Amino acid sequence: MRYEGEHLLIGQIGHFFTLLSFVSAILATYAYIRSARALDMTDGERWRKLGRIAFSIQVFSIISIFVTLYLVIYNHYFEYKYAHQHSKRSLDVEYLLSCFWEGQEGSFMLWTFWQGILGMVVMRTAKKFEAPAMTIISLAQVFLASFIIGVYFFDIRIGTGPFVLMRNEFPDAPIFQDPNYLFKYLTDGNGLNILLQNYWMVIHPPVLFLGFASALVPFSFAIAGLWKNDHKGWIKHGLPWALFSAGILGLGIMMGAAWAYESLTFGGYWAWDPVENASMVPWMLMVAGIHTMLIFKHTGHSMKATYFFIPLAYFLVLYSTFLTRTGILGDTSVHSFTGEGDTLYWHLILMMLTFISITTVLYIRNRKEIPDIRKEESMNSREFWMFVGSLLMFVSAGYIIALTSLPFINKLIDTKWAIGQDVEYVYNRVMILVTVVIALLTAITQYFKYKETTRKYFWSNLLVPTLVTILISSLISIFGGIDYDKYGIGFLAAIHVALWASVYTVISNGTYIFKVMKGNMKAAGASISHVGFGLMLIGILISSSKKELVSVNNTGINVAGLKDVKGKEENPLENVTLINGVPTQMGKYTVTYVGDSAVKKNDRVYFKINFTERDTTGRRDVESFDIYPNAFLVKGEEGMNLSSNPGARHYLSNDIFVYITSWLNPDKVTDTASFRNYWVKKGDTVFYSNGFLTVNDIVMANKNDNKDLPVVDSAWLSDLMVVSKDGRSYPSQPAYFVKNSQPSVKTDTVFTQNLVLNINRVSGDKIELGLKESGAVMRYITLKAYKFPYINVLWLGTIIMVIGFLVSMVRRLKV
Amino acid sequence: MKKLHIVILVVIALSIAGLLTLTKDITTYDSIASAKKKEGRYVHLIAKLDRSRPVEYDPVKDPNFLSFYAIDSLGYKTQVVYRNSKPTELEHSDRVVLKGQMKGDVFECKEILLKCPSKYKDDPTQQMKKLENTAVTTSSQN
Repeated sequence: MRYEGEHLLIGQIGHFFTLLSFVSAILATYAYIRSARALDMTDGERWRKLGRIAFSIQVFSIISIFVTLYLVIYNHYFEYKYAHQHSKRSLDVEYLLSCFWEGQEGSFMLWTFWQGILGMVVMRTAKKFEAPAMTIISLAQVFLASFIIGVYFFDIRIGTGPFVLMRNEFPDAPIFQDPNYLFKYLTDGNGLNILLQNYWMVIHPPVLFLGFASALVPFSFAIAGLWKNDHKGWIKHGLPWALFSAGILGLGIMMGAAWAYESLTFGGYWAWDPVENASMVPWMLMVAGIHTMLIFKHTGHSMKATYFFIPLAYFLVLYSTFLTRTGILGDTSVHSFTGEGDTLYWHLILMMLTFISITTVLYIRNRKEIPDIRKEESMNSREFWMFVGSLLMFVSAGYIIALTSLPFINKLIDTKWAIGQDVEYVYNRVMILVTVVIALLTAITQYFKYKETTRKYFWSNLLVPTLVTILISSLISIFGGIDYDKYGIGFLAAIHVALWASVYTVISNGTYIFKVMKGNMKAAGASISHVGFGLMLIGILISSSKKELVSVNNTGINVAGLKDVKGKEENPLENVTLINGVPTQMGKYTVTYVGDSAVKKNDRVYFKINFTERDTTGRRDVESFDIYPNAFLVKGEEGMNLSSNPGARHYLSNDIFVYITSWLNPDKVTDTASFRNYWVKKGDTVFYSNGFLTVNDIVMANKNDNKDLPVVDSAWLSDLMVVSKDGRSYPSQPAYFVKNSQPSVKTDTVFTQNLVLNINRVSGDKIELGLKESGAVMRYITLKAYKFPYINVLWLGTIIMVIGFLVSMVRRLKV
Repeated sequence: MKKLHIVILVVIALSIAGLLTLTKDITTYDSIASAKKKEGRYVHLIAKLDRSRPVEYDPVKDPNFLSFYAIDSLGYKTQVVYRNSKPTELEHSDRVVLKGQMKGDVFECKEILLKCPSKYKDDPTQQMKKLENTAVTTSSQN
């Protein structure tokens, strides 16, 4: 059959380049192996030249694949599966790039692209290590190219190609019986996941994958060192690359955190989700490796540890890909990626085993040659404490990855374990202790000299920062209001100690820059990143322990008799329902659902939520602002779906987030009715358009004479009976509370009568009853609101830390 | 013995101690029947939404009360109560992982993880289903 309107040539070009990238990567690997093993100089030089040409062709092929696939997506060629699955016509152009990393193939392409670019740099700068290091990089490229090659090897498909056609993938689908299927059926794509339609998601994956790709380079130099038995020489190349990798990887991880924070998909910037853990663990190993490399450079110790940490950092990059991409985490992660089935599973295992075997074989073969100093480090030396810190990094990374791997362990040994009730606390209670030690070590270690330090040198420099730290930390502890006691006094104490240690890190490293380094910023990379790291810890500790739920729902207080108390203060329920135009008290704010935009392009609806803070007299507004959360209405298989994006109000010291959790689509009816007010007392009757209501009782209570009143100081509770024309009656119990001289109103609704009732004011035994009748269907939303304080300290710390890594890198390139 | 060896031994001892404290935090994936036997214990249930029973959620009455029925692969059923807002894709889910504990006949759920077909764009069977649907809906419109 001849199909109409297809664009087959571009796919064939793309497929040709995927094959070319695979073949040229193999050729580059082979040529570089021959060059590395060549005994004869000219022979080695010939093979090296061939390797360079092959690798350059490989990089050119990857770029061509990128451009080709972009054209397919950009031109909406929906006969291609990739365009059909990940894009659609109405998608904004700035998100077209995000289509790449929504799918498996595109993310592998991004990864292999960065490895290619970094490989070109290594090729030009590695000098005598070029051949062995490029062998490893080319081999990694062979594996990555094979993930997207999509050819059959006997009956097994190796990788999935990005240029497959819909009709070849689903030959049995009836629509492909029609030669005009493109014009009749596949006229639009499935579109991009809404969570990815966020600017962070445009820039976060490229940076993170650059971080992943860069972890390969120090590894390849480590292998080159082992292979050529030049254990000193490779450090000179490996160290700047490791610094680069830790900086970029750290930045990429934190960009993901910023995305999670802004889209609130994880309820904050970090939730110990497997996807997050898997990306952080390689970073921790890379940092451990940087420190052991420095120890070796200055003292000759720790070479064996370096040969352990640096390769492990790269293996963990592969392992994290394995965990997040094969669907093995399925049941544990909010955000795990799709499973591609068994082929990718074994494909990644093969890749990991290959690199692990190469490392192990080379290590065992050359283990006698690896420099090793028998004399032990002094306790007064910098290297001793640096090594202790690196070891702790490694152990805590092990703790994190072991827990994250539970689903994989379950699969291996056929168990059914899972982390219980409180996932975050399982991590936090261990990591808070790690934080204390790591922060303390980071604070003091630079004040030791390598090899031996005199007590006088150490204390004369460290005394001032120590005293300043004690002063500042005490002030934070006393006035900071950090009273997170959910896990008892022990954990709260740990938070305070960790905070002290983190402040110590910032102050003592800051002092070190100016006092010891005399303000020479170019040489102070380490101290700069330590200051950033300390600020990050401070930001994490404060913002997490002071996170506040604004939308506390205490309206579950039942009226008559005040018995059944659902909304206890210690366990507040998180969602509050707002009826259009009805102000509701949330903490210090009076919150009103003002309205929403009509359903617009891309099915996105904006809500306007007004927050007003009154002063204590209740008359003047202290502050009033609107927050615009939005939500997509997505057509699902069984009706409409709500996919929510929070709206935020940013302050320097805190952010308020509002997140729609439920919305009744009102079919665009408008509600113009307003409240009518009546002063009533017990026994009065009020009429409304469809019947009347009687005031059965008004109960006044206050804390002093009613012990059952749990949450508020005093309350006016009404017991009303609404009787409609058809004789049905509905009980209703609006109420009025005062707490800390702040009034709040519990609105009640009689949904079937479209009645909203509340108590506006009280006076003696009289209440002012507000009665709103809505001709239209009542409109309401349910939302959550959070307040996150001092998150900017975390972001600032991240930026400073990354700058520090890059400053160090530049310096290590020169020395 | 080297000082570093002492440090390493201490670290190892601490990590073993850490792992031992974990044992009480490790739970298991259970079926509804086995969860009922362990009343009060925190477990993970893997089940499906029982579509023959209504999902009860009225945000006007109480935005923090969701009740529905779950059915597992062995055919056992239980009522589930979740004191939070309804996950918007609940009705569209293929499978749910419910974290919580049995209390009487009700499963008190603290956390819900949904497995939705929309998240599994790359799953071939889902794509096939979707394609067939496209054909049916478009041709019925013509």
